This record gives sequence, C-alpha cells and structure tokens, in this order.
Amino acid sequence: MSLAMRIISRLDIKGPNLVKGINLEGLRVLGKPESFAKFYYEQGADELFYQDVVASLYGRNSLHDIISKTAKEIFIPLTVGGGIRCIEDISNILKAGADKVSINTAAIGNPDLISSASKFFGASTIVISIEAIKQPDGRYMAFTDNGRNATGKEVVSWAKEIEQLGAGEIQLTCVDQEGSGKGFDLGLIKDVTSAVTLPIVAHGGAGNMQHVLDLAEDVPVSGVAISSLLHYDYILHNRHLDGYEDEGNVEFLKSKRALSNIDSVPISQLKSFLIENNIPCRKYE
Amino acid sequence: MTFKRSNIEQQIQHIPKEVKWCKKCVVSNQRPRINFDEEGVCSGCRNTEYKNNDVDWLAREKELAELLDQHRRTDGHWDVIVPSSGGKDSGYVAHQLRYKYGMNPLTVTWSPLQYTNIGFQNFEACIDSGLTNILATPNGRFQRKLARLCFEELGDAFHVFVLGQISYPFQMAKRLGINLVFYGENGEAEYAGDPNYADKPYKPSEEWVGQHFKGVTFRELLDYGLKHKDYLSEDDFTESDLIFYEPPSADELTGAGILGKHFYSYYHKWSPQENYYYCAENTGFKPNPERTEGTYSKYSSLDDKMDGFHYYLRYIKFGLGRCLEEAAHEVRDGHITREEGVALMQRYEGEFPQKYFEDFLKYLDISEEHFWDVVNSWRAPHLWEKINGEWLFKYPIK
Amino acid sequence: MNKPYKIAVIDYRISNMYSIQNALNMLGFECEVTSDYSIILAADGAILPGVGSFPEAMKHIKALGLDKTIRDFIATDKPFMGICLGFQLLFDSSDEIENTAGLSILSGKVIEFPKKIKKMRVPHVGWNTISKNNGASTEIVSPFFDSDEGEYFYFVHSCYVVPENKEIIHSTTEYGGIEFCSSIVNKNIFACQFHPEKSGEKGMKVLSEMFNKKMEK
Repeated sequence: MSLAMRIISRLDIKGPNLVKGINLEGLRVLGKPESFAKFYYEQGADELFYQDVVASLYGRNSLHDIISKTAKEIFIPLTVGGGIRCIEDISNILKAGADKVSINTAAIGNPDLISSASKFFGASTIVISIEAIKQPDGRYMAFTDNGRNATGKEVVSWAKEIEQLGAGEIQLTCVDQEGSGKGFDLGLIKDVTSAVTLPIVAHGGAGNMQHVLDLAEDVPVSGVAISSLLHYDYILHNRHLDGYEDEGNVEFLKSKRALSNIDSVPISQLKSFLIENNIPCRKYE
Repeated sequence: MTFKRSNIEQQIQHIPKEVKWCKKCVVSNQRPRINFDEEGVCSGCRNTEYKNNDVDWLAREKELAELLDQHRRTDGHWDVIVPSSGGKDSGYVAHQLRYKYGMNPLTVTWSPLQYTNIGFQNFEACIDSGLTNILATPNGRFQRKLARLCFEELGDAFHVFVLGQISYPFQMAKRLGINLVFYGENGEAEYAGDPNYADKPYKPSEEWVGQHFKGVTFRELLDYGLKHKDYLSEDDFTESDLIFYEPPSADELTGAGILGKHFYSYYHKWSPQENYYYCAENTGFKPNPERTEGTYSKYSSLDDKMDGFHYYLRYIKFGLGRCLEEAAHEVRDGHITREEGVALMQRYEGEFPQKYFEDFLKYLDISEEHFWDVVNSWRAPHLWEKINGEWLFKYPIK
Repeated sequence: MNKPYKIAVIDYRISNMYSIQNALNMLGFECEVTSDYSIILAADGAILPGVGSFPEAMKHIKALGLDKTIRDFIATDKPFMGICLGFQLLFDSSDEIENTAGLSILSGKVIEFPKKIKKMRVPHVGWNTISKNNGASTEIVSPFFDSDEGEYFYFVHSCYVVPENKEIIHSTTEYGGIEFCSSIVNKNIFACQFHPEKSGEKGMKVLSEMFNKKMEK
C-alpha cells in the first residue's frame, strides 16, 4: 500500500451558488455548494477545494459562512482560494475552518507573501494556484483572475520560484482544458511535475474516467481536482432534492438537460475504476 | 488640433446633457434611443422583465416550429440564411436551426475588417462542426478608405463593417432565392435601444431598409467623402464595389418574399452566456486566450482586431464602453448583481485597446497624432473635462 | 446524569484548533481550547494538536509554560493524544529548519524526509495506509486495522519520528521507500502523525474510541 491518488472535488462558488464555467469563463449556476460538498464527502472525496470566483473582483473572500458550515460537518481537508491577499486574510480563512489556503494573484504580485505565509502558518498550509494558458508561440503563461489577466510569468519557471519560496503544494489549472471535458494537458503537467519536488494537484479537463486514469498512470501528480465530471453527475441524480437560489445564470438548471461531452461520474465509481487499474485510492466505504 | 469633424452624425446631437444611470442595471441615458421610465429604470431592464414574466416561451417555440415548417425545403436547396461570424451567438442560431430543427441553413459571413487568430479559429471550428458557409470580403483597399471616412466623420471606423453586415445577407438572400433570414438577437430590444419590435418575430424589410444608421445613408456618406477627403476619389471604386454595402430595396425584398429580419431571440429566451456554453459544447468555440480589452469577458465579439476601437469611440462619444454593454446585459439577466456590474465597470470600463492599436493605425493609414485629433473631436463636451493635461470622464458609475 | 466527557485541546497559539474542535463536538464531547494549567489538568482527556514548524512550536510551548502542563497531565494517567506536530513534539529533538529540543517525554528524534537524496515530493501530503507493528508491546487493533487492505488516514508533514524504543510503535507507513512510524502507544499516550480529525469517518472513529472507551491496552 502507498500514498493514494487524491480525488479532490473542486467547487467554484459565487455568492450562495455553485457555478461552473468552461475555460474558467461563464457563471452557470448548478445549485447549492453545501449540498454538493456533503454529497461528495459521503461519496468518498479525499479533499474539498472551494474557490470564491468573484473574490478578486471585490478584493475580498466571502466564503466564511460556507467554510464554517463545511468544517462542522465534513471531516476531510478543505482548501479555500479566491481573493486572499495577506497574512490576515489567510488567518481569517483558517479561523473560519479551512485547513489550507490557495493563493494566485497575491502570490504573483508579491512573491514574498509565499515565504512569510509558509513560515507563519506552515508550508503545508499554503497552496499556490497556477492558471496556465497556452500562448500562440507554444509557451504556457500564468494568468490571474480566472484566466483573465496576463502576468508575464512563464509557468514552469514560476513553479520553480514557488518551490524556492517555500509553499507546500501547487494546484495547476490547465485553463484551455478546463470545463471542456477533453482530457488533461499531460505535456504541461509533466513539465511542471518534473521541474519541482512539491506535490502537484492537476486541475482542468476531466471528461471521463479514462482521462483521470491516463493522468494517474503517466504523470506523478499527488492528486486531481475535478469539477464538471462530478457536478453534472450530482445534478443529474439529485436535482429534485436540491433547491437553488434564483440568482445568477440558472437557465441550464431550469432546462434540466444533461451535457453531451462530459460523462456524469460519481466519485465512488471513479475510485473503483482507478483501483481496478492499480492506482491506489482510498476506497469508498 | 487640426481636425474638425462634420455634423453628419445625427445620434450624438440628441443625447441628454445630464447623465443618469439606470437604477437596476448599469446603462446610462446617453445610449441613443434608450428610455428611462418614472422609476428610473431603463427600457432594457423592462424588456428583460417582459422576457422573464410575460412571455410564454413554449408558445413561442411552437411558433418557431411552425414558421420553420413553412420554410423547410426538401428539394436540396438552402432554406434559411444565417448571418454568422462563427461566434457564440450566430453559431448557436445556425447550429440549432440545422441540428435541432432540421433546416438547411446557409451561413453567410461578412468578413471582419481584420480577422484575429481566435476569431478565424472559431469561424473555422463552427464550419467544421457541420455548417455550410460563404465568406464575403469586400474590396480591401476601398474599404480601408471608407473605414477612415467613418472614423473621421461618424466617430466609428467599424461602421463600414456594420453597413455590410446588415446588407450583405439580404443581397445573398435575394440572389440565392432564400426568403428566410435569421438573426440572433434583436439588438435594439436586448441592449436597451428602440423597444419597438421587441415583441415581434421580425423587423419588416420596409422598416429597416430605410433606417439611416447614425442618421446618414451610405450614399450620403460616400458623397461627403468624395467631396471633402483627399484620400478618397472616384478612381477608388466602381459601382460593383458598392453592391454589398446597401441592401436591396424594400420592394425588391418583399417581392422576393423576404419578410425582414427574423430574430431567434423572439423564439428562445436570449442569454449570451448560455450561447457561449452551447457553442463551447457544440461548435468548438473557444474563448479569447486572454481577457478582451475594455471588458471582463473572453467570449464576446472576438473576431475583429478593429472591434475594440468601435467600443472605445463609443465610450468617448457617449460614455458607453464595452464593459458597460456586457455588464448591463448580465445584470438584467440576473447573472451578476448591479454591485458586481459596477465593480467590473470601475475596473475595466474605458480601457484603451492597446493590443491592436498599431494595426488600427495601419489599417486606416493614419498617424497616431491624427488618431488622437479625431478621437478628441468626438469627445462629448458634457461628458469629458481636461484636468492637468489629462482627459477625465465626468461621470464614473456609482 | 452522566457528566459530559471533557477534553482539553492544548492551545500553543501556532495553528488553528477548529478542526479538532468541530470533530470533537460532532462526536458529542465537550471540549475547550485552552492553555490554562488548571483547566487542562481537570479535563478527562487532552489533545496536543498542531500544524506548523517545530522550532516555532517549542518557543510558544515554553513561553506559555505548557511543557510542565503536558508532563503533569500525562502523569495523571488520563488519555493523552498527540496529533501531527503534537506527536513530534513529545520526542527529544527535531532537525526541521534548525535542530531544536522537544519535550523529551518519549525518546527519539524527528528528522526531515530526505527529499534531495531520494527525489521525494515533500511534504508527504494525502491519504496513506498504516501497517501494524507486530513488535509493539501494546496491541490496539480497532479501529486501525479492521480491514485487511489497510486503513487510509490523512497525512501532511515534511518530517517523521524515529522512536528509540521500537516497542511503542503502533503502526508504520510507507512513503518514498521509507517505512516511518505513523503512530505510537505508550501507557496513556496515543500519538499519531496523521490527522484523525481530517480522515473522514475512520478518523472520527479513532477520536471516538480514544476518549470514549479509553482504548484497551
């Protein structure tokens, strides 16, 4: 037995709603994040990741309520990102009940924050999120703000810098693949995992179970963060159980249709599939 | 300042001198043809309320099915024209007509002034997803002079594109014997312009053919240019170069059974964001690899390098930039709150489209100095003031 | 009327204790996060948790006088649980960042995973299984070794403990080719490298058994 592949459920949250974009664009509402979180915990998720998608815009993270609620009922690690700017922000998010924080914009703007935060809270508490977008010349550059703002930082060298500064983990989002269901950008992920000895969580592109298996077999990632694959499964089977705030883009929810290009896969099924293919996973009980 | 513009642009002369913001969304009263009611709410918001509460969308869908049944051809001929850029809105309409309703659409594209990489990529992907297309590109040398003329005298180089965009599909409809032309949204209704026809399935040919965009016809504009511009002369074009800039006459259209501009948004509740999702799933649409300048989104109006300047000049003329346009629609749709819309505008509204600035100058064959002369001649005096050598917009949104 | 079982969560001001608090509350225990000597000594059970750095932790512990508190509590024979950093602190020393003396309640040292030599990813983060140490002097099977395939618990650490007395090793875990000590049992002390409060239902069981049944020795 050895270290299991982590299946991390990632929830993008806007106000009271769970939202899901494509290429990190669009704010289609899928329901209430608390319901999804509980469901994923019961299904055997290894970790939860909450991203406040409008935090950067407002300059603040607004997830404290749902963080507290989650921490009281769900006993797996919770990482929270979005609008975290300084030591005090980190402290507040941890106090609300999160175990780790994920930082992007503030880290790029002020890399020293990474080292001071790691010293203060422990390296393992600090996750740096990289949003990678492939440029016409073939290079992958890091972006902030849901893939909106260019930073001029090339992904692999930024990853190396992050390691030097003492962060505990990197979450790497392949923006071009995200929400598309087309699979992971294995080349990019391999480049980053080869460049550093930090644990890397890959995010962006899972459209079916085979994609996750390909990733696990080909690349030494510590975990995979999944959204669409799981969310659309949840609402397919649980829509009648869930109320949703009538705020935000609720057209899809009202239409009650399924997606054509992304499978609906519950965590338990994904884990069984991985275990059958010799990828160690914490089995669903 | 050596440049002085004429007064042929009519819109700018009728806007109110006092700026008011809609109470519900983020548009201002400077938008031509907008209405604010006694509660300070704009016609765009009222149109959305109407869309959300007073429309029986199931009945509308039935109407669509009936309309399409009447037009569907089984003799191997196209039965509907969809003016399409390959973007998220027209892609949605074309794909639905073909694959949901079994029509035989011909998508027709009026070329952007200058294709962006992502625009052309999406254009090809849309065709690749299973649609037939004809792409029309007008006489480039002549069009560039027209663009300069429009920039100088209408404060919008992009206007020359718009002329073709509204005329070309109908020229094709007439020539190819296709009498149904389907647009996406009713732009006036969806974007807080003239609310007439908001609840009508199409705008009749007699109505729109005579409409003078920005208050001047194409011929009047051309004449003005020939008279007053040293860069434009009769040697630059022949009559055949003008065909696609003007629609057929109203009589010719009605004679051909072409009722007018049909709007898909009449039959299906229009949501640009959901169109994005649809096209990402079905037509291979990809958003901009970086944020579009002047706004927060990455999926709207990506195909033309010159596009940013259309919005920038609109910001100069009316204080209505790109961010405002998108944010206002999203606020009305309930996708974002007004607070968010305001925060977005404070961040992005009026951002200068630097990326293609050189391309723009080259396209129009003008210097940077002339560019700013023209821009400054369009600054509405009641909206702008110069402080410490810098132009400031007097009414940032609250 | 049963007096509620009270657990003191020892607060040495280094990391947040909310996870542990939430877990204990969920299990029906009464708990207090405190550095107060008398409150801690009066409690029915105590937990020394922690995420952070060893040197920083020892600084705080000494400044708050908690070294005596911890020693005195352990001497009462009531159940004492050390988690993660709280587990490591019980030993003689750690070379995390700089060589620092620990509480020396148990003999042994804490060393860093040799990431440069072995090309390991550090921190060791995620779910890993524990294996029974058959040479342990105290055997506690449930809820740790209920299933044959190995139970998964959540780990997140860059250093690991090497106890001198191998008989106190309750379980080991493999990472990067190193079979390290993942938990110990010594009289009334149970301490683990993993986080039971973050290990789902299994972890909750561990907490529950620890204090409810005062795990059988």
